[in-house]
Amino acid sequence: MTVAVGVDSGSTTTKVVVLVNGKVACTTSAVTGPDPAKTASLCIDKALSECGHTFREISCLVATGYGRERVSGATRILTEITCHARGAHAMVPAARTIIDIGGQDSKVIRLDERGFVQDFIMNDKCAAGTGRFLEVMAARLQVGLDEFGEEWGRARGSVKISSTCTVFAESEIISLISAGVKRPEVIKGLCNAIAGRVASMARRVGIEPAVVFTGGVSLNEGVRRALEDALSQKIVVPPMSQFMGAYGAALFAQDLVE
Amino acid sequence: MWPRFFRLHKSPTQGNFPEKALRFLLERGFTYKAVETYLARKSNGQKSYQEVAASGILTELRQAYRRERPVIYTTAFVPTELVYGLGAVPFLPEVWSGFAASLGVAPRAIHISESLGYSQDLCSFHRCGLGLFGMGILPNPSAVIVSSHLCDGGRRSLYYHSRVAGCPLYVLDVPYSFDREARVFLARQIEHVAQDLVRKVPGLSLDHMRRAIEASNGARRVYLDVCRVRRNVPSPWRGSEALNYVSVFLSSWGSGWLPEFYGELLRYLERTVRTCAFPVGNERHRLLWLNLRPYYRTPIFDFLEKQFSTSIAFEEYSKLYWPEIDPDNWAEGLAEKMMSNFGWGPLERRIHAVWSMVEDYSIDGVVQFNQWGCRQSNGGARPLRDFLQKRGIPFLELDGDGVDAGNSGSAQAITRLSAFLEMLDSRGVIA
Ligand code: SF4
Repeated sequence: MTVAVGVDSGSTTTKVVVLVNGKVACTTSAVTGPDPAKTASLCIDKALSECGHTFREISCLVATGYGRERVSGATRILTEITCHARGAHAMVPAARTIIDIGGQDSKVIRLDERGFVQDFIMNDKCAAGTGRFLEVMAARLQVGLDEFGEEWGRARGSVKISSTCTVFAESEIISLISAGVKRPEVIKGLCNAIAGRVASMARRVGIEPAVVFTGGVSLNEGVRRALEDALSQKIVVPPMSQFMGAYGAALFAQDLVE
Repeated sequence: MWPRFFRLHKSPTQGNFPEKALRFLLERGFTYKAVETYLARKSNGQKSYQEVAASGILTELRQAYRRERPVIYTTAFVPTELVYGLGAVPFLPEVWSGFAASLGVAPRAIHISESLGYSQDLCSFHRCGLGLFGMGILPNPSAVIVSSHLCDGGRRSLYYHSRVAGCPLYVLDVPYSFDREARVFLARQIEHVAQDLVRKVPGLSLDHMRRAIEASNGARRVYLDVCRVRRNVPSPWRGSEALNYVSVFLSSWGSGWLPEFYGELLRYLERTVRTCAFPVGNERHRLLWLNLRPYYRTPIFDFLEKQFSTSIAFEEYSKLYWPEIDPDNWAEGLAEKMMSNFGWGPLERRIHAVWSMVEDYSIDGVVQFNQWGCRQSNGGARPLRDFLQKRGIPFLELDGDGVDAGNSGSAQAITRLSAFLEMLDSRGVIA
């Protein structure tokens, strides 16, 4: 029996994927908080106990994400770029472009047919084009992030949010709301703004189908639809899309066991 | 009106005790003797080329601060042979900004430049230079020479230095075309600047020109051998150190000590190859580094060289691009040197220069350090990326700041570099 563990210690969320004999046995996630090492350990323990295993049974553990250096017990450390590529290619073998929007960063990765990284680009310098941008706007609009898709569908038109800077965009939506623009239109405008920003990043590395969308924001239906519009491409959101980095890390761990 | 305006804005901090004390020390001969003695004591840890550079730079600093020779401020793309040839000491504020960053003084200098009214959008190599000047710790210039090509921020920020110091400012207008007419046009300007300076600044004369040009040509010949040895796989020189010595490459052509410096460096590199004492063990990848580096303390080079066994095999700003200069026709020779800079003119020139370095130094991947505010370098990244990728050479744009540590994060830089190296690993380019 092999137990391969992948840990993605992200700046917002820590994700763990456990493969038992090469098959996904369990996934778990938690808010990273101020102590990434402790959160990672707790997450690993939780995931293992959910699938009836213990830390001592781990055959191999690969860590990725910003806190990767701090995950104890890691056999290997890899970047989230390499792990996302591995995970997405395993899920969608036709994947050539990955768009990943996480809590604090966004990245676009171009793959070759073997799933190897050809090029990548990251934005982790500012909140524009990240999950944080959406969180701030959702709080301001008093709407849950999971309601974005529904609101997007309800919008009759869309307003243009010209700024992707979180501070500027926040004041822009305040003016729009006070000018009487309805919430669904504002939300559609926000989704378009984030999609526009990420689409420019994607064009910088070159977009080739299939385009796979991963990271926490991939579950946001509004952003997915806005991205499809912006790229004039069908966007694939694979199963476990928010766990893709951890899944890729677990696959590398499985390779090392084998 | 201008001198008055600049007097008002002259020095927000001149008069502060630490700056006054530092200035006092820099103007005293015993300071240089003390530093020389200290370096001599430490010399068993120092390599001979490092000693030559330290002694050459210290001598010039002493001459500059003690007003033994006039000081001329220039930017990195003005040929320093012109300054040495006039008998002056060249002083490049950008170079000293890098030095200030390595000593941890840059944050204060940058704050001061902002209080002088300079925007954060200006390249920090200039902002820091302006701040250091505002702090009153740079030597006083007798003149300023800038060029119209490449670094736009340099031309504009050195205007401030010249106005505050009340000294003449010369702008060499570099033509965009490369024919003889263009060269003569620039050569006439260079001659005019030299003659005007001899008239206006006491202590300058053209008597030093032949010696400066011959020293430059001599250093050039040895330097070509240095480059030849640096082609060795594995790399015989630690790239992070080579990037520090880019400052010497930018600011010391025409000095009497440069031929000896490169001679010593050549001997060191040859010995390294002979004894296989390579600085990066089990070299996995060879990178070409474009533009400058962060000069403050950063873990990225240890990460590259120690953790990832990756060499920076060569640097863009170490590429020698000009032909020998004829001492009898020095003005045209210097004009040709300025115009030969591959960063100037159509982008294809830079692209081809980068490609020749990729081939000459057996490069696996190219990293462009995107210095915040450096339009001349960052603006050409896209076509360069496309050109290299078509030929199978991965290209990474590493956004950062060479002087202002607060404007970039080392964790982000390391993530990008790691992903880039993992990408090289996956291509099977492991040496
Ligand atoms: S990095 Fe660019 S902008 Fe800054 S001093 Fe150098 S050439 Fe000028």
